[in-house]
Amino acid sequence: MTTGRNATLTAVGTSAVTRRVVRQWRQVGIVLLAFLATAVAGFPVYWALSMSLRRPADTFTVTGLGVPFLQYRPTLENWRTELSVAETYHALLNSTGIAVATTVLALLLGVPAAYALARFRFHLIKNKDIVTWFLSQRVLPPVVTVLPFYLIMRTLHLLDTQAALIIANTTFNLPFAVVILRQTFLDLPLELEEAALVDGATPFSTFWHVARPLAQPAIMAAGLIILAFTWNEFLFALTIGRLDAITLPVRIAGTAYSVRGVQFWYVSTQALLAIIPPTVLALLAQRYVVRGLTLGAVKG
Amino acid sequence: MQKSPIKYVFLLPAVLWVLAFTIFPLIYSLRISFYNIRLGRNVSAIWVGLHNFARVFTDSRVQESVVVTLVLLVTTVTAQLVLGIALAVLFNRHLPGRSLLRTLMTTPLFATPVAVGLLFLTIYYEEGGFINSILPWKIPWISHPQWALVGVGLVEIWQWTPFCFLVFLAALQSLPDELYEAARLDTSSGWRVFRSLTLPMLQPVVILVLLLRLTEGLKVFDIPWGLTGGGPGTATQTYSMFTYRAGFRHFDFGYSSALGYVMLIAEMIVITFFFKRMRQVYE
Repeated sequence: MTTGRNATLTAVGTSAVTRRVVRQWRQVGIVLLAFLATAVAGFPVYWALSMSLRRPADTFTVTGLGVPFLQYRPTLENWRTELSVAETYHALLNSTGIAVATTVLALLLGVPAAYALARFRFHLIKNKDIVTWFLSQRVLPPVVTVLPFYLIMRTLHLLDTQAALIIANTTFNLPFAVVILRQTFLDLPLELEEAALVDGATPFSTFWHVARPLAQPAIMAAGLIILAFTWNEFLFALTIGRLDAITLPVRIAGTAYSVRGVQFWYVSTQALLAIIPPTVLALLAQRYVVRGLTLGAVKG
Repeated sequence: MQKSPIKYVFLLPAVLWVLAFTIFPLIYSLRISFYNIRLGRNVSAIWVGLHNFARVFTDSRVQESVVVTLVLLVTTVTAQLVLGIALAVLFNRHLPGRSLLRTLMTTPLFATPVAVGLLFLTIYYEEGGFINSILPWKIPWISHPQWALVGVGLVEIWQWTPFCFLVFLAALQSLPDELYEAARLDTSSGWRVFRSLTLPMLQPVVILVLLLRLTEGLKVFDIPWGLTGGGPGTATQTYSMFTYRAGFRHFDFGYSSALGYVMLIAEMIVITFFFKRMRQVYE
């Protein structure tokens, strides 16, 4: 009798322990999987960094993961070489200028339009349809418009100018700004604006002094995302900005293969030079990235 | 506030800007697609009617690029969605350093796509690239047609899975906890909770992400341009690349415009298919 009861107790005890052990191991497995996924996501950038810090002679002699300091002595030589080339500076300057100008222009046009669609009612065409039209611009394949755009810019003598690329990029990013910032304005409490209007403020000063400051964080985030999108734009830059208006992505795409094959140290340095700025900008806007990339449909 | 004419001052500049720089080029492009245009000292244009469109449907190079694009589209978007959901479920638990891991997971998202293509060249490169240097055998990532396609596909998956992951994770975190507590009283099977609760709740977001990825994936250009340049031969030449080359390498402007229009119609079919669902999500 007593032995029987003891046996049952032990059995219950072991199964509880087993369950706990299983749960712990599962947790370990989950953590490992998460680390593995993160490692895969982060590896290429690490690899490029490791490559860009090697002397050309170390490129192929260092094996495996290529950990700097442990496996080879890192050097900034490739970065120094790359950054001392006038063409790189020129491309960096173009990319920056085009991205900044596009962002300013897209926000200048986009913020008021977004506000108008959030707060006023339009009768000729319904607000909903205007928003859908802006949304549909995002799916327009760029190869359809690149050719006529090229010919138009050719007629206007704007080929290979920063202006042409600023116009093109503003056109791509303006719908984005309108759609996501409209959602932002819709989410703001109406009472403050109503109070301002009752106090005799004009609709413009209500927008400028009440609604816009409240939307400022979202506007900044939209600006950062537009900066990154414009920096990354390739097709139009490739077509329109060949020499004077060459952007960084176009410059690096043209230099990968040399007569001696792919020069890993240059390719990785240049790729990083292109990748780092937009990635950092996106990190700054992290809270808004999900909302931005789903055009306001999902709030992160 | 309703009557104020200022609403037009706010809205019209943006509308006019987008109209001017999209509708006008689109009309121009449609016109060009009916001509055979040669760029020389003088631009000469000969009316050819629907000839350029007829070429699109009979050109074997087009068919090849359509196959490349569709194979990439179907495989990479499927992989991105499945991996994205799996990772989102994984990260929706208690993990040490979760926000840091999540941040690292998102680094591919805004990396310049053409630079990513170039960067992977150093990973795939057949002599001394990372993968072949740790494998006991050599994979012809760049020189073999099918392997090159696999290579491009893997980079696409690498870059865009984080997007699906982020959106799904945000959606999961917005689901109420009480539902899960209730579900756990009913069943102890995690898989069943996922199948009959998580997945149905995620469905609108899955459709949204699917739509966004399909419309983006159809345009695929930058990554294969940076990684393979469409090669070897034309094994990884996507429809967008072919259209671009028809226009800017062969200066066959009419043909390139017709190719572009066919793609636009394909995009529109995808969107109409999802349109009602998309509108529901946005309202």
